[in-house]
Amino acid sequence: MSSRSRVSLLVLGAAALALAACNREEHHSRAKPIGETVPAGESPDTIFPGSSTAPPLDPRAALYDNNANAISQGQQLFLQMNCVGCHSHGGGGMGPPLMDDEWRYGGRIDQIATTIAEGRPNGMPSWRGKLTEDQIWDLAAYVRSLSGLPSKDAVASRSESMSAGTPQTLTPHAEMNNSDAVPQ
Amino acid sequence: MRLSARPLAAVLPLLLAACQYQHYQSDFGKGAVEDTQFLTLFTIFIVVCAVMYLLVIGFLFAAILRRGRIEANVVESGRHHESHPLMQSTLIGWAALIGVGLAALAVASFVTDRSMAKAATNEKLSITLTGNQWWWDIVYNSADASKTLRTANELHLPLGVPTRIILKSNDVIHSFWVPSLAGKQDLIPGRENDITIVPKRTGIYRGQCAEYCGTQHAHMSLVVVVDSYPDFIKWWGHQLQPAPAPASPLALAGFKYVTSGPCSSCHNIGGTQASGQVAPDLTHLASRKSIAAGTLPMSEGNLYGWVEDPQSLKPGVKMPTIGLPPDRLHAVVAYLETLK
Amino acid sequence: MRIVQYRQGTQKLWAPGAGGFHGGVMRRVTGALTVAILSAAATLLGACHRSSSTQSTSPIAEGPLPAGNHALPPAAAAPADDGNWVMPGKNYAATRFSALSQITPANVSKLALAFTFSTATNKGFEAPPLVVNGTMYVITPYPNYLYALDLTKPGAPTKWTFKPKPAAASQGVACCDVVNRGAVYDNGKIFFNTLDGQTFAVDANSGQMAWHTQLGDIQRGETITMAPLVANGKVLVGNSGGEMGVRGWIAALDEGSGKVAWKAYNTGPDKDVLIGARFKPFYPMDQGKDLGVKSWPPDAWKIGGATTWGWLAYDPETHLVFYGTSNPGPWNADQRPGDNKWSAGLFARDVNTGEAVWHYQTTPHDLFDYDDVNEIILADIPWGSGRRPVLLRPDRNGYFYVMDRRTGQVLSATPYGYINSTKGVDLKSGRLIYVADKEPKAGRVTRDICPASPGAKDWNPAAFSPVTGLVYIPHNNLCMDFSGVQANYISGTPYVGADVKMYAGPGGNRGVFTAWDPVNRRPVWEIKEDLPLWSPALATAGNLVFYGTMDGWFKAVDARNGKLLWQFKAGSGIIGQPISYRGPDGRQYIAVVAGVGGWAGAIVSAQMDPHDPTGALGFANAVKDLPMKTTAGGILYVFTVPR
Repeated sequence: MSSRSRVSLLVLGAAALALAACNREEHHSRAKPIGETVPAGESPDTIFPGSSTAPPLDPRAALYDNNANAISQGQQLFLQMNCVGCHSHGGGGMGPPLMDDEWRYGGRIDQIATTIAEGRPNGMPSWRGKLTEDQIWDLAAYVRSLSGLPSKDAVASRSESMSAGTPQTLTPHAEMNNSDAVPQ
Repeated sequence: MRLSARPLAAVLPLLLAACQYQHYQSDFGKGAVEDTQFLTLFTIFIVVCAVMYLLVIGFLFAAILRRGRIEANVVESGRHHESHPLMQSTLIGWAALIGVGLAALAVASFVTDRSMAKAATNEKLSITLTGNQWWWDIVYNSADASKTLRTANELHLPLGVPTRIILKSNDVIHSFWVPSLAGKQDLIPGRENDITIVPKRTGIYRGQCAEYCGTQHAHMSLVVVVDSYPDFIKWWGHQLQPAPAPASPLALAGFKYVTSGPCSSCHNIGGTQASGQVAPDLTHLASRKSIAAGTLPMSEGNLYGWVEDPQSLKPGVKMPTIGLPPDRLHAVVAYLETLK
Repeated sequence: MRIVQYRQGTQKLWAPGAGGFHGGVMRRVTGALTVAILSAAATLLGACHRSSSTQSTSPIAEGPLPAGNHALPPAAAAPADDGNWVMPGKNYAATRFSALSQITPANVSKLALAFTFSTATNKGFEAPPLVVNGTMYVITPYPNYLYALDLTKPGAPTKWTFKPKPAAASQGVACCDVVNRGAVYDNGKIFFNTLDGQTFAVDANSGQMAWHTQLGDIQRGETITMAPLVANGKVLVGNSGGEMGVRGWIAALDEGSGKVAWKAYNTGPDKDVLIGARFKPFYPMDQGKDLGVKSWPPDAWKIGGATTWGWLAYDPETHLVFYGTSNPGPWNADQRPGDNKWSAGLFARDVNTGEAVWHYQTTPHDLFDYDDVNEIILADIPWGSGRRPVLLRPDRNGYFYVMDRRTGQVLSATPYGYINSTKGVDLKSGRLIYVADKEPKAGRVTRDICPASPGAKDWNPAAFSPVTGLVYIPHNNLCMDFSGVQANYISGTPYVGADVKMYAGPGGNRGVFTAWDPVNRRPVWEIKEDLPLWSPALATAGNLVFYGTMDGWFKAVDARNGKLLWQFKAGSGIIGQPISYRGPDGRQYIAVVAGVGGWAGAIVSAQMDPHDPTGALGFANAVKDLPMKTTAGGILYVFTVPR
């Protein structure tokens, strides 16, 4: 082998090793995500008297928000835990639609996680104690994907229900313009 | 070439070790009628192919040995373009042999297929096996709806009874394969496949999902128990019973948690308020021989480990690690062990 | 609006009452000329009331009236009309017929608003107002306010308001909008149910609560939306929740105290279903012991649905109360092999003890959510040389059943809409025969199933006129795609297991209004409507029929031929029962509350997103255009012909 081809082979090999070390995302099935034992954060969609800023985003948001594995686990849980029975595939029914840009109780991932964990007064059940925190955050990530909010490479590109049209996760939606303007 | 003795000596014990799985999970097992049919077909194929193989090797060696002499002749005499009459008839005979051989294989294959399909119209028992990631949902169908039995991960079959297993999938493609009993058949979402088995020998066999179906495909195995017909009926009757009531205070505490906490969101325990349908039926969990689709053998210690942290034993499995405190873990396992 | 006429043999009645067609060229020419003039007039008149683009007029001809010997309601169950409206069905026979005849086809074009009232709610309004001796009572959807309006004063001011304050969380377990199907007046009290499963009795004069009883448990997914039936001192109440894995039941409360007199489940062992020695079902398929357990996989009957959310009827002569049960749960039939008794069937029970006297399972092992809870009209029809006491039932599965109300025998089951999911009813065995191709399979989509899950007609009841002998049926023309998925049971959450998408049936019109002759078993005339018809009908002795459309048109048509005579555009779509009453001034009034919603209108009342065709169990796709055509509301409109 000539020295030039040997060098280029070495370079290729090094590049391959370097790229292989890149993980697109973390799958934390074994490790408990941080804050597993900390209750889901309070909803920032409240008045905090005496302070001028909303509390910072829950650190778990970064782990789940654009995580393809979390969204796909959340999709399966959405069907299995009967969320689809009330919210359909985002269109709503017994419960409000999840695929539009109107959020009664906030559309940030930690607000959605709080909604799922605590329930809401007009009929949203409380899932604390029935689902683990990890599962609740997976669901919150999927619910956000129904509005087309996470990045396109994290969401499913194919609808799992019978509709043959563009899946909700890929339909472009209007920007959220309520008080939850905290950048994500 | 000299055959070295050492590699042989290393390989031999392995070959012998394989023999002990002859009845458990072996393609050469004779557990079912279908398997015998398959074995016959396999033998025919081996014989025909072996004969052809030996002939080819033989001709190859002959050619190599003769090559030296012919090459010199051809260069000298320039007659390499003429055909040799013996060569001609040999080639014709060879083509005929291939034709006959292929025809024999085709006929054998057709006949085996037909007889296996005929068994499918003769079924006396119908079982619906639904593949999930990564467990088997088993429903024994009955004309009397109230005798329908739903269990998971352990298949019981009666000896000598043609059993049709309807194969469905809830998510991705799986494949049903119990080597000692029958061949492979895929479980395809949106489609109903089926396979018919007539077991011929009682015993315990091992099956395995044979189509990659995700992270834990390797841990999606199936325990198949073939009982005599009366034993099978007795087993069915017992499995239809609702879960026994918890006896000790510890088991009662476990019962309360299991039927009202996260376990009840997914699991069903007959006779209790836990009626989840998306996870294995636990009504008679403790009567099974394995946990989590053959991942672990059934034992108290393994139950502890599984309930406490399934993600460390089968990473990626759909059952979450809840992180039960020790008291609750004792209670839950105490209750699960009563589910015989 | 297109009217379709059906001929009956060679019998025809021509407009100027010629009395018969005797042949001869001159008669034919005159007749044809009359038709031509009439149709031209109709076209011109039709142009004045143009509403939806799909409505078109067509030549009008007088339809045949059924020959004199036609169906009549039994006198005991349908007493003489006193001008009041005390129960949603008008009477125990559920005729929804007013004997008042001041308003006729001649003067209905002058019908005008007398007064209006806003109920301060904006969910689906399915209940009729009640009128008792000069006071009007209006029960609203959640939060179930009860208003009493004083009709003796101008503008009908409020006398009192009763607010039961049901639990807000009950909104989360109500499958099909937070509706209420009506209150009942009896013996000085108003009885009604609240969404969170309570029954209230309120004094009709003072508005003070007399008693209330908690019957349903929202933690198990139970709600109550039905209108009670009060008979023989008992208040009969049933639960809702067939989509929530609820176990269905019917209970009788003592009218005076509110205590439970008896409670019968609709699934489970015979002792729970109150099946005893008196139980004599007509067909072998309904005979046997503990069929409410044996026709289900183990334990499935405990979460099997078969609720009592629809209409009850009562026969005072035999003291039998009739009601139908809902679909079995889950919708995915693979999870519940067996006939699933006693879901999707009709019970006859003794009103005093609750004992079951007979049962007919209309749709065994239901595959398509064909609940059996539609209205049950009591009638006596000509049969042989005499008359036979029957029940008339336009059912969800698309068949108009005529059944003997003493035994439960099916005398006829005739399709009144387009059906391809079933082949018919075998009258010998009583079984509904399914079409194998249309059987839904898990993981696959079965397409073009007609009628769709709401059926050829859902809960909204038909009216029966003893004057014309016809049953006026407002109903649907919808088909669906259905895909079964595995359903998971978690109490308090839906237990369905199906993705559904509905759309218009053959012809493209989603609604139909049919005038049906129950004796000759055929439609007499039909009106095609663009949107599904989700409103009940009202028939009057003035030969008028009233109904409303989902985009808010309240219509009066001629009961004899379906000709549109008057219409009014209300502020919201109409799904509520219209009534007619005699006011304190002796004049006839027509009243209806407009407030779109219910299962069909959830896309508006629940503000759903139409991009998901499976929304509202598939209905969102069928009425994607509804939010453009109407908005939510809850306004009472009362009309009369001014002096």
